[in-house]
Amino acid sequence: MSDIGSDGVLAGVKELTPVQKTLAHGLVFLILFGGWELGARAGYVNELIMPAPTAIAYRLYEMFFVTGSIYWHYIITMYEATMGFIIGVSIGMGLAITAAISPVFRRYWAPYAVVFNVTPGIAVTPFIIAWFGFGWSSKIALAALVCFFPPFINTLTGLLNIDKDATELFRSLGSTKKQYFQKCQIPSALPIIIAGLKLAMTGALIGTIVAQFFSASEGVGILMQRFAFRLNMDGSFAALIVMSLMGLSLFTLMEYMDYKVLYWRRHSRMEEVGAKRKRQWIKENGDMSQA
Amino acid sequence: MSIDQEASVSNIELNSQYTGSLGGAVIRHTLIFFVVMFIWEMANRTGFSNPLLLPRPTDIAASIWKIYVTQGNVWYHLWVTFQEAMLGCLVGTVIGIALAVAAVLSDTFRQFLKPYIIIVEATPRIAVGPIFVTWFGFGMSSKVALAALVCFFAPFVNTITGLLGVQEESYELFRSLGANRRQVFWRLMIPTALPTMNAGLKLAVGSAFGGALVAEFISAQAGMGILMARYTMSLNMPSAFAGLLSITLYGFLLFRTMEVIDRRVLYWLDDDLMAKKSAKRAIKFRQELGL
Repeated sequence: MSDIGSDGVLAGVKELTPVQKTLAHGLVFLILFGGWELGARAGYVNELIMPAPTAIAYRLYEMFFVTGSIYWHYIITMYEATMGFIIGVSIGMGLAITAAISPVFRRYWAPYAVVFNVTPGIAVTPFIIAWFGFGWSSKIALAALVCFFPPFINTLTGLLNIDKDATELFRSLGSTKKQYFQKCQIPSALPIIIAGLKLAMTGALIGTIVAQFFSASEGVGILMQRFAFRLNMDGSFAALIVMSLMGLSLFTLMEYMDYKVLYWRRHSRMEEVGAKRKRQWIKENGDMSQA
Repeated sequence: MSIDQEASVSNIELNSQYTGSLGGAVIRHTLIFFVVMFIWEMANRTGFSNPLLLPRPTDIAASIWKIYVTQGNVWYHLWVTFQEAMLGCLVGTVIGIALAVAAVLSDTFRQFLKPYIIIVEATPRIAVGPIFVTWFGFGMSSKVALAALVCFFAPFVNTITGLLGVQEESYELFRSLGANRRQVFWRLMIPTALPTMNAGLKLAVGSAFGGALVAEFISAQAGMGILMARYTMSLNMPSAFAGLLSITLYGFLLFRTMEVIDRRVLYWLDDDLMAKKSAKRAIKFRQELGL
C-alpha cells in the first residue's frame, strides 16, 4: 500500500493548529454529509440509489447493537481472510526462499511465475468454488490464491537484490552461507517483504469477499449482496462500511507490524531499541564505561 | 512511496544465473513442461486424480479447439470483457490522474481530500460490486463502473507521488531560469512523474480486468467471467480451463503491450532508445539551423 497518509507525501503546507485542523475537517465533513442528508430528505437523491447517511448510520446501529446479526458474519469473514492470508503467505514466501537459494529452481519456475503474474487471481473463483465447495474452505483457498503473489515476488526480489558491498563485506569477514542469509539477506529484504505482506492482506480480504459474492451462505460479502439485490440500499451501505472497517483494522495491524519490525527505518524507534539493547548488554557484560 | 512496491516479474532477472545457449534452455523448458503434462495426463487416465476436478491436458486442448474454432463462441465474450476492462480503465485513469493533479496543484484540496482517500484505500473496492450492479443494471455499464472504481487508485496515488517527487534542485534551476508555473508543470513535474505514473497505469490495466471479471461473476449475460462461471457450474471443467487460459493469454498480451508503451514513452531510461532519439533530434536541430 502507499503511504499517502504519511507526512512524506501529504505534509500539510499551511501551518494550522491541531484544533483548527480538526474544526476545518469537521466542517467539510458536515457540509458534505449534511448536503447529502438534505438532498435525500428533500427527494433530490433517490433513496434506492443513495440512502441518507442517517439511514445508513441507523442500520449500522441496528446491526451491531439491536439484532447483533453482523458479528457472526464479521467473524467468519475475518477468519477466512486471515487463514487465507497465512496459507498464501507461507506458500509464497516458501517458494520465494527456495527460488532465492536454488538458481535451478528459479530458472524452471520463472515461466510459471509469469503466468501467475498475468492471470488475475480472482478469475479462478469459479474453479475454486467447484473444487472446494460452497463452505468456508473455498473462501480460504481463494484468499490464499489471491494473496500469494505479492509476498512471493517481493521476497524473491528482496533476497536477490542485495547491496554488492554488503555481500562482499560478509564474504571477506568469512560468514557462512547461513549467516549471510540470516544476517544480511533477510534484514535487507524485510522492508520490501513487509510491503508485500501489506498488499497480501488487502488481497486476502478481497479474495474472501469475491468468493462470497460468487456463492456463500455466511459472511459480510453475501450479506451485502443480499441487501443490494433486495434493494435494501441502506443495509448494503452499512455492510460496505463494515468491510471498510475490516480493511482499516487489518491495515492498521500491518502498519503496526511494520513499525515494530522495521525499527531501524524510523529514528525514534531506532533510538528506543538501541537504548534497550544497551541496557541489556550492560546487564550481561557489566558497565565498561565505569572501568 | 508509490504503489508499485510490488516488484514486478520483469524487474528481477529470474534467468540471471543461466549460462547455456538459448536453444538449450528452450528445449529443457519444453521438456519439463511436457513431462509435467504427461504425468498429469497419466494420473487422470489411471484414476489417481478426478477428471471432474482437474481435467486432462488433452481434453483442455480439445476444448480450446472447440471454443475457438468449432463453436467459436469465446470471441464474443472476450470482446465484451475487453471492452468493459478498457473503458473502465480509461474512465478510472482519467478520474484518478485528474484528481491527483488537482490535489498536487492545490494544497487545500489535498488536505481535505486526505481522510477520504485513506478510507477509500482501506475499503476493498471490489466489494462495491453488488451496489454497482444495483445502480447501473445488469448490462455493460455496471462492469465498466466497477472496473473504473477498482483501477482508479493506482494511477491516482502514483501520479501524486510522482508529481510531488520533484527534486528541490531541479525546481530551483527551473525557477532561476525564469520558468513560469505552466512550464514547471509540463517540463519538469510531468517528465519526473512519468515513470511512476506508468507503473500505476500498468497496475490499473491489470486490476480493471479483474474488476470487470468480478462484476460479471455477480451478474452478467456476456463476458469471460460469466462464461467460465457457467462452464464450472455445469462441471464442464475442460472448457472452463480453456477460458482461464484465454484470460491468462490476454493478461499476458496486455502486460507486454504496457511494457512496450512504457519503453517508448520513457525513452530516456533506455540507453539504445535514448541514443536513437537524440541522434534524430540532432539531425533535426542541424536542419533547422541550416548547418
